[in-house]
Amino acid sequence: MSKTVVDYDTLSRQAKKKKYTKKGTIYLILILFTIVNAYPILWMIMNSFKTGQEFAFDPFGLPNEWVFVNYVDAWVTANIGSYFFNSLFVGITALFICILIGSLASYFLARFDFKGRNMLYGFFVVGLLVPIHATLVPMFILMQKLGFMNTHLALIFPYIAFNLPITIFLLTSFMRSFPKEIEESAIMDGCSVFRIFWSIILPMSRPALATAVILNFINNWNEFSFALVLINDDALSTLPLGLANFAGQYTTNYTAQMAGLTLVLIPTILFYLIMEKQIVNGMTQGAVKG
Amino acid sequence: MHLLKNRWIITVGILPALFIYLLFSIVPIFISFYYSFMSWNGFSEMQFVGLANFKELFQDSVFWLSVRNNILVVLASVFGQIPIALALALLLNRKIKGAKFFRTVGFMPVVISTVVISITWRMIYNSEYGMLNNFLEAIGLGALAQNWLGDPTWAMIAVCITIIWQFVGLYFIIFLSALQTVPNEILEAADLDGASEWQKTRFVVLPSIWNIILVSIVLCISGSLKTFDLIFVMTSGGPANATEVMATYMYNKTFEGLRYGYGSAISVLIFIFSMVLILITTKLLRRKEV
Repeated sequence: MSKTVVDYDTLSRQAKKKKYTKKGTIYLILILFTIVNAYPILWMIMNSFKTGQEFAFDPFGLPNEWVFVNYVDAWVTANIGSYFFNSLFVGITALFICILIGSLASYFLARFDFKGRNMLYGFFVVGLLVPIHATLVPMFILMQKLGFMNTHLALIFPYIAFNLPITIFLLTSFMRSFPKEIEESAIMDGCSVFRIFWSIILPMSRPALATAVILNFINNWNEFSFALVLINDDALSTLPLGLANFAGQYTTNYTAQMAGLTLVLIPTILFYLIMEKQIVNGMTQGAVKG
Repeated sequence: MHLLKNRWIITVGILPALFIYLLFSIVPIFISFYYSFMSWNGFSEMQFVGLANFKELFQDSVFWLSVRNNILVVLASVFGQIPIALALALLLNRKIKGAKFFRTVGFMPVVISTVVISITWRMIYNSEYGMLNNFLEAIGLGALAQNWLGDPTWAMIAVCITIIWQFVGLYFIIFLSALQTVPNEILEAADLDGASEWQKTRFVVLPSIWNIILVSIVLCISGSLKTFDLIFVMTSGGPANATEVMATYMYNKTFEGLRYGYGSAISVLIFIFSMVLILITTKLLRRKEV
């Protein structure tokens, strides 16, 4: 930034004043944006510690007395613990398989020349455009025929399939950037193709793998529509589905709803604050490049 | 690139990913096409009805209402999210205390599960206890209080505001990181030439991030076409179909109305509609670029 030095006192004072009002306006707008972004969440967390009566009487202030009865209600009536476990199980299983088979496919697509390679790659990447909702009805019927309805497999397979395009896209473009010589000495030493993948290419792809893992996890963790259609059993529900059902049943008990939401929200926000850089990079890269 | 003599190794490497991707992402689309010519309620025998589902669909006024609402969501996203995000990014793209804080809070809604956001906003819009009406009353504008989600004239607007709120942060961060790539030398040169801030923005900054803006618009369109969770949880398409979009209508017809063939026909149209819109926008925006 270059600043012009002005000797004229009044002029500089005027300029300064102008600069400060400008800065002030910018701060004002940014603070307003922050309030609009954060207040709905804070409002909800705050009220989750109030009794229903206090919430009705004073919805804006801090709780007079912090009560935890809503949390007991939410934990007992909604099986949040079990939803949590289901979400983790489905999310991590799908993520693990998707990264494994996705990175293996990316390795061949990125490091080898064969007929139809570009077409195959394009075919995978086109999957980014498939609208999930156009597949809900056929997926429902397919899962019935496969006998997967109301099992976690009914979620794991679609989650893998719908995350493969972005996974393969990110990993292939990353693996392509390595120089060709990387594998040559290993080939000379007689390493097998899969050995090269496992001990050379995969470790080198760590940054892209991290992005892919985060994207996979967030997508799976937040996914709702497949769970809604393919899971009918409360004991198998994932968090988004369980929460939607819980809120649907307790429509008038607002403070309990808020406690349930807060229980789900806190781990997400902690995860976000701890891994902010990777999450933001992953989600913006995944979005822009996709 | 390496040539591999052993073709089957490539097959082994790519097949697992290809198989799952095909079966759970591509095949369902084609099954939808097939089922859209059928009529059955999930239990009865499938009956071939030719184009009857489509004929009915084209005369179904609720379907066209849902198409209109879908377009409204797309427009609200493109003309709401992108300009707000761009303006905020331009404001924050300077030396500002607390810039990191603004970024962190700005991106936060993007990582929160849509179901949590929907339930929270459903409570914000609640006519009796909602934050919005309470706020309006507190500042003396109680007359403006509405039953936001229960009133057909307001429901769609309320839903669109939530959608804008949810994703402004994504584009905000995308633009912010694009702005940091604008070369400083050019900006300094413009400073020396006495360019005003507006001129710098208009003639240097915006042209150099134009590509990212275009990508974001395409992203915004394809993202808002996928809207389902949010509306499903907030209103289920009501009141009186006022917030029905194609995906919620498809869900309601198929799984509530048990008209699987009809639902499949809607799925097919969702698919075609999304593809056409994405193709048109990419074409249009590419042309402008040249």
